[in-house]
Amino acid sequence: MTKTSKWIQILLFTALISVFLALFLAMPDVLFSEQENRKLTQAPQFTLENLFSGKFTQKFESYITDQFPLRDRWITVKARSELLTGKKENKGVYLCEDDTLIEAYKAPDPAQLEKNIDAVRTLSESADVPVYFALIPGAAEIHSSLLPKNAPNDSQKDVINFCYENSGAVNVDIYSALQSHSDEYIFYRTDHHWTSLGAYYGYTSLMDAMGLGHSPLTAFDRRTVTDEFFGTVYSKSGINWVKPDTIEIFAEQDEATTVLNYSEGEAVKTELYDYGCLEKKDKYSMFMGGITPLITVETGNTDAPTLLVVRDSYMDSLAPFLQNSFSKIYFIDLRYYKTQFMQSSIRNFIRENSIDEVLVCYSVYNFATDANVFLLGL
Amino acid sequence: MVFSSLLFMFIYLPVVLAVYYISPLKWRNLWLFIVNLVFYGWGEPVYIALMLFSISINYINAIMIDKYRDTNQRKARNFLTFNTVINLALLAFFKYFDLFAATINQIVGTEIVAPLGLALPIGISFYTFQTMSYPIDLYRGDTRVQKNFISFGTYVALFPQLIAGPIVRYRDVAEQLDYRVHSADKFSSGVRRFTIGLAKKVLIANNIGVLWDTYSAMPTTELTVVGSWIGIIAFTFQIYFDFSGYSDMAIGLGRMLGFEFLENFNYPYISKTVTEFWRRWHISLGTWFRDYVYIPLGGNRRGKYRQLLNIAIVWALTGLWHGANWTFMLWGMYYALFLIIEKLWLLKALDRAPNFIGHIYTMIVAICGWVLFQLDSLAEVSSYYKSMFGFAEGGFFTSTDAYYLEAFAVMLIVCVIASTPLLKNLFNRLPEKVRSVAAPVLVVAGLLIPTAYLVDSSYNPFLYFRF
Repeated sequence: MTKTSKWIQILLFTALISVFLALFLAMPDVLFSEQENRKLTQAPQFTLENLFSGKFTQKFESYITDQFPLRDRWITVKARSELLTGKKENKGVYLCEDDTLIEAYKAPDPAQLEKNIDAVRTLSESADVPVYFALIPGAAEIHSSLLPKNAPNDSQKDVINFCYENSGAVNVDIYSALQSHSDEYIFYRTDHHWTSLGAYYGYTSLMDAMGLGHSPLTAFDRRTVTDEFFGTVYSKSGINWVKPDTIEIFAEQDEATTVLNYSEGEAVKTELYDYGCLEKKDKYSMFMGGITPLITVETGNTDAPTLLVVRDSYMDSLAPFLQNSFSKIYFIDLRYYKTQFMQSSIRNFIRENSIDEVLVCYSVYNFATDANVFLLGL
Repeated sequence: MVFSSLLFMFIYLPVVLAVYYISPLKWRNLWLFIVNLVFYGWGEPVYIALMLFSISINYINAIMIDKYRDTNQRKARNFLTFNTVINLALLAFFKYFDLFAATINQIVGTEIVAPLGLALPIGISFYTFQTMSYPIDLYRGDTRVQKNFISFGTYVALFPQLIAGPIVRYRDVAEQLDYRVHSADKFSSGVRRFTIGLAKKVLIANNIGVLWDTYSAMPTTELTVVGSWIGIIAFTFQIYFDFSGYSDMAIGLGRMLGFEFLENFNYPYISKTVTEFWRRWHISLGTWFRDYVYIPLGGNRRGKYRQLLNIAIVWALTGLWHGANWTFMLWGMYYALFLIIEKLWLLKALDRAPNFIGHIYTMIVAICGWVLFQLDSLAEVSSYYKSMFGFAEGGFFTSTDAYYLEAFAVMLIVCVIASTPLLKNLFNRLPEKVRSVAAPVLVVAGLLIPTAYLVDSSYNPFLYFRF
């Protein structure tokens, strides 16, 4: 090796480590990562107490990692080189054909699942009104054939079957409805939610189970509200060279419909679609404005029944389809409603609000893992 | 602090190197002494006090030993004994107290000694051994006394080899402490060595470690014969690239600061016998036990039976050195068994057999040994062995195994190739011009690609941290 080469190696090495140090010091700290859709660690406060407890040094290391110059690019480099070395996934997310990102499903802890399904059964048996129960399978189940051969991916159908055998409620067969349309754009390619089309098929199976008619697909004017949606699976994977998703709207909000959001406890008038969210990273929250403990939708069909929906975020894009069939719908998300229910049970809520029908509707993943479902049985 | 972290590579290292090379020669050791303590205390600042205590005790005792060595042998010997006892007591207290407490409690059947649950001071097993070597060598007349406290402190806490070796004996660096050559040759070879180690650790060990983690987390009912072999082979590679990568980084960093440490690994997985394997694996530890335990016990000079007993003692201790768990001692005894059998007749037999038999035999011994090494209890160990040899309910091979074999095929091939000197030899055969162009490119790639993994990764364990 020549002397020049040796000097070049020394200069490159020392220059690189110093340049990133300089950039790290010079660049302002970033509060929020758009790409990863999460808050980044900020500089820890230095106190002697923090130092000796080890908190300072620990937090300082995650601070450097989160604020490292050009963080997003490094993440892409890593994802690319993982796939180049023959790995099929990065961080548990598979890159499948047509730029589809799918996170494989892992069978849930049976204890939590049993606890949750017991709560549904308790509610079904003790409520004076009909209870409907719907589990929504995810893309890993419906599009399982897209995953690499033999990729570890547990059955969501098994979870649904187990739950439906034990729910004591009127089960809604969303699985078959989605499965028979599996070649359509029913799941986002970069997000874990179903698309509005997927939600429409969910809606038809729901109406069938309730003995109500449903509107045909042709009754809706489909319109695209954005074609630049990068969802949660994209954020998690680091695989950021895929094309974005399109968000469509099928059912428009009726003029007579009033939407009240209780996210801060007090009722605030809002809309079924919060177009402001289209400017944000998490564009799916455009549907009903994202997470909230309670939201009510009152329609012009005053003769129709009142519905209580206990749900997760998949319901946000299904809700608009329900306007024709109910007079008033209460959407409760137990994950955020918890404190209120400690005083008053779901059963009391049904009585107090003259609910006619109850729907418990979750994605398989959330139902099997959420630790708040037990509140149903109180 | 560990080398394979953004904090070390992009904050600590540039600052340390910059100030070091700006400073006049006589200030450099003081600067190293200070930053060594920062490096050491980063995770547990309280233990800086322990480090200073350890340095002072050895420093003072060494001066006393030196003072009496030629005039009052007995007094010198007493100081040496006192010093050795203190060093070992510190190690025993911080590392093994809870093991002894648990063992005593188990024998008695009730809790008579409460475990302390102290955090293990990082690198205590490494620096205790290397510090102890100094007064012993001094007593034996193998080295000269160090009167400069800063120089001695710099040696004990020298950050490149502080927490995971190589275990540098004082006499091997004594001269370098007070006079060492800094040159472009040395610095650039340090740069190359550091980036090779970084790539081994971050790109190979961390990646193949994911495969071992997957299999070691599988319930016995799902673990197949093939799967359990894939799993432990993945660990076999993980621990080698993890540890030897760390040693490479240490040696590289040492050279950047003008130090030359002895090699710690020499392609152990190409060995043809277990005896050879241990001459190539963690060389500095083997050397330490040979010089400070095996030979003082009489080595091979007191007859065959005494020699075999000495081997057994050394390996029981070597095992226990690796961790406060009796399974480690068992792992040491496992190797003692093979070493003794080889000494008695197997070496001769292997010598006559074709090479590949020796390679296969050695790898199987090493791979099966890692099960004992890595799993925490005898119950887990025996259940894993059952899976490996088809005595468990997991079956022989499933589609899951096929998936992981395919997904990690490239990685496994890389591991096999990188365990041999093949790439190194190929590189050295290239014309000088090609090497001169390739080396800077490789240095940049070897620094930047691991950085991408460190920025993104949450998985960056360091296996030898526990010791």
